[in-house]
Amino acid sequence: MNCLEFRRELNIHPQSNDAAFVVHARECPRCAQAQADALAFEATLGRALAIPPPSNLAESILLAQATQQRRESQRWRRGAGWLALAAAAVLAVGVGWRATSAQPLGDAAIAHMLGAEAPALAYTAPVADDSVRKAFAKRGIDLAQVPADISYVQCCPVGKYKSVHMVMPRANGPVTVMYVVDDHVASRSDFSHDGWLGRSVPLAHGTLVMIGHDAGQFAQIEREWQATLQAATRI
Amino acid sequence: MASVGSKPDVSSKQRQFDALVRSLSGDLYRYAYWLCNEDALAHDLVQETFLRAWRSLDSLRDTAAAKAWLITILRREHARLYERKTPQFADVDDVDIADERDAHAPESVGEDGLIRAAMQRLDAKYREPLLMQVLGGFSCEEIARELNITPAAVMTQVFRARQKLKGMLAGDVKEAQLS
Repeated sequence: MNCLEFRRELNIHPQSNDAAFVVHARECPRCAQAQADALAFEATLGRALAIPPPSNLAESILLAQATQQRRESQRWRRGAGWLALAAAAVLAVGVGWRATSAQPLGDAAIAHMLGAEAPALAYTAPVADDSVRKAFAKRGIDLAQVPADISYVQCCPVGKYKSVHMVMPRANGPVTVMYVVDDHVASRSDFSHDGWLGRSVPLAHGTLVMIGHDAGQFAQIEREWQATLQAATRI
Repeated sequence: MASVGSKPDVSSKQRQFDALVRSLSGDLYRYAYWLCNEDALAHDLVQETFLRAWRSLDSLRDTAAAKAWLITILRREHARLYERKTPQFADVDDVDIADERDAHAPESVGEDGLIRAAMQRLDAKYREPLLMQVLGGFSCEEIARELNITPAAVMTQVFRARQKLKGMLAGDVKEAQLS
């Protein structure tokens, strides 16, 4: 191997263990120096490219997978039960339908929060504002600003409702915030279930639902979302 | 997705998936980041890659090939994304590099920052094989298979990638000294 071949190999495989490469580096001081420089550059390059991933990356992927799996199994169950459901619907038209469609938003929101996405309540690291904007954009809302300290955001169907599901960690425990788009409750109301307290508020383009163990934290969060959603526009 | 009845080993599949996510999501994120130069998009790409991987996990026979398999899925996802999206043209020198430096401060102001900025300026055809070699630890033959080019072409591209990077860095250092 001559110097030219060595330099070419050095730029392709700086850590080469090829016998001829190793021998040449031992015999040629200038190429040995070039190799030392190249290895130093590789170390710096490797360090510079090692961008740290988000702290909750693996958990968020596993959560998305669990959520998707659950939705798919629900769809499968719905599909398998379709014939039976259709028959039942013929018999119970006007009765059964009213029973399923009338599930209150608060109950549906708590059931969703405690389902596959329950681990999100433990998240504390803030998500990027862009992730929040993207989730709202998927629901047709362009946010001009984003409230601080949101540790989880995902577009979720909550029963029959289309929502943006978020978690906002607070001093007295996390508050789950769901914004249900294009579905207005008639008026502000409080609800509770299994020790969880909730409030639904008609706001801008839909309904804001807050759930937590301390209802005293709701007022501030409502003010933040009121300012945010009133400044938002429909896409 | 397979029905529960036909897959008695769902829990072992889930364990395999968990292990893949925990061991390789960081590497995939770094690769995705350097493909698209955007934190949030890289996160989405990696998540979508793993969701697709879950659906076809039964086709993964060789665990040693898992990383290459996931990178193949990620590259397809990235290509799909660009089929759907109209690229936003911006002056990369002014916008992307400034954002990148902000996103990864404080190291960004030093040598690492200069290298990151230079990587973002590097043409994708040089950047990608270099990423696969440096971040992925793939051989030229493996990169060639993934990129569907010859090993000789890969060697030429990683050679030129390093030369171009070093050339850009020499220019950046001179600029930094002048300013």
